[in-house]
Amino acid sequence: MTEALVFSMGKYQAPIPVDRLYAPNHVWLKPDGDTYRVGFTAYSVRLLNDVYFLEWDIEPGTSVRERQEIGQIESSKAVASLYAPADGVIVEFNQSLLDDPTPINTSGYDAGWLYRLKTEAELLTPQQYVRMLEDRWEDTQRMLKGQINEP
Amino acid sequence: MSGKLNVVIAQHQGKNPGKRQLEEDIAAALIMEPGLSVSIVPHLYDLTETHTGTLHLRSVSGDLLVLAWLYPRAARWTLDRLGVRGKPGRTRIGAGAAEQNDTSGDDPHRGTPEKPTDARPVPDRFVFCVDLRDVEGAQQVVEEVRRLRDELSTPVVPLTTWIQGSPRPDQMRRFLNGDGTATPPAKPDAPRNGKRNGNSAPAGPAPLVIDDPTPRRWYPVIDYDRCTNCMECIDFCLFGVYGVDDQARIMVEQQDNCKKGCPACSRVCPENAIIFPGHKSPAIAGAEGEVAGLKIDLSRLFGAPSALEIAVQERDRELIADGREAVGMTKGIPKRQANAAARPRDELDDLMDGLDALDL
Repeated sequence: MTEALVFSMGKYQAPIPVDRLYAPNHVWLKPDGDTYRVGFTAYSVRLLNDVYFLEWDIEPGTSVRERQEIGQIESSKAVASLYAPADGVIVEFNQSLLDDPTPINTSGYDAGWLYRLKTEAELLTPQQYVRMLEDRWEDTQRMLKGQINEP
Repeated sequence: MSGKLNVVIAQHQGKNPGKRQLEEDIAAALIMEPGLSVSIVPHLYDLTETHTGTLHLRSVSGDLLVLAWLYPRAARWTLDRLGVRGKPGRTRIGAGAAEQNDTSGDDPHRGTPEKPTDARPVPDRFVFCVDLRDVEGAQQVVEEVRRLRDELSTPVVPLTTWIQGSPRPDQMRRFLNGDGTATPPAKPDAPRNGKRNGNSAPAGPAPLVIDDPTPRRWYPVIDYDRCTNCMECIDFCLFGVYGVDDQARIMVEQQDNCKKGCPACSRVCPENAIIFPGHKSPAIAGAEGEVAGLKIDLSRLFGAPSALEIAVQERDRELIADGREAVGMTKGIPKRQANAAARPRDELDDLMDGLDALDL
């Protein structure tokens, strides 16, 4: 397999594998039959830290719109709502994560996959995703700082 | 201050039997306690300016403990709006209580005197607010009330010492008025429609119950400890809810112009000083600490619309419902977004440092 790209978050080097596609809300999408397996990128996982709670608001088979709220996550450092990366249908959730979300941290690009999504949407290449991370890194830090004030 | 503690139970809006039961259990337990005055009013947030419950709350002098189905911060500023004020007191009920007691430099009197936004004098008494959702049972309230009562009560001064010494004015007044003795105090200013419970327990007076109906209301409540008078709310709200008082201080002037369910101004407030006590989001409903809290909210990273985007959508929806045109991002948009980088070191810096320190 070709070597992963890398995005530097301070001292941490977030690997961005080139065998899959990406969405701007920091998930990877790896083709799997006529669907994509979707999971958090190393960038997301790095910001989240240890995940200990994951919950989905919708049932498998639900059609979703891009940026529709679909679930919640809580980690040692953060809480977040989760949003669909693109228009499509979420056909299956990774059930094992609901009992133990540890694989999100230990195997984020593999066993830590979140759900399978069927979508026709145009996605980002690894190069485009890394470019986006680079372009937005300053803004992202500022946004994260700013959001501490916002409800 | 007098050793008598006034306890007011503000009822839940709904008729949930479990909640009613808790209110009744607490009232029943507290009337057995000496040194208390117990009353029951409808839900604080729904009280109008002239409601008998409001008049009753205003008539209460001395330390006040309010038990309500609201975050303590929401209850405190709703009371403030009703003209019921005092130094904010801390109780030991609620998840945040332990943290609150030892948060560094978080003086319970913080913001009350010097804040330019809020130069009003604060009455020399404590107002404690407890969220009934944090209460595990009546006994917990009884114990906390005992603790507060003991903590607040002036030590008993024997008459002989009084004759030899010089009593403070409040001691003298209390002595002359015979207040604080075993006799339940008269209530000359009891609300017009207030009524007493039928069976008074032998141990003490029955609680005063004010149960005039209160239609549900929806309006913002300003936390003047946080408000910096930046006027972004008045710029953003296009329904004329906000105004300024004669000190040029922001105020909720036309609360009934507010659109039910719309918390948009709260989202644009840079200090999270605008509370909608009935909103489902704890940060908007006045929860302490959830926003500046221990955990960072990464929702926006994963695609959540920004608070401003949501606020603009909410405002447009209400404009259209009023037969007006949506204005989107063209009116009253906060100018502060650009300078967020200038903020002092905060949790994110700590988080990022913490991440770097970790050996992942």
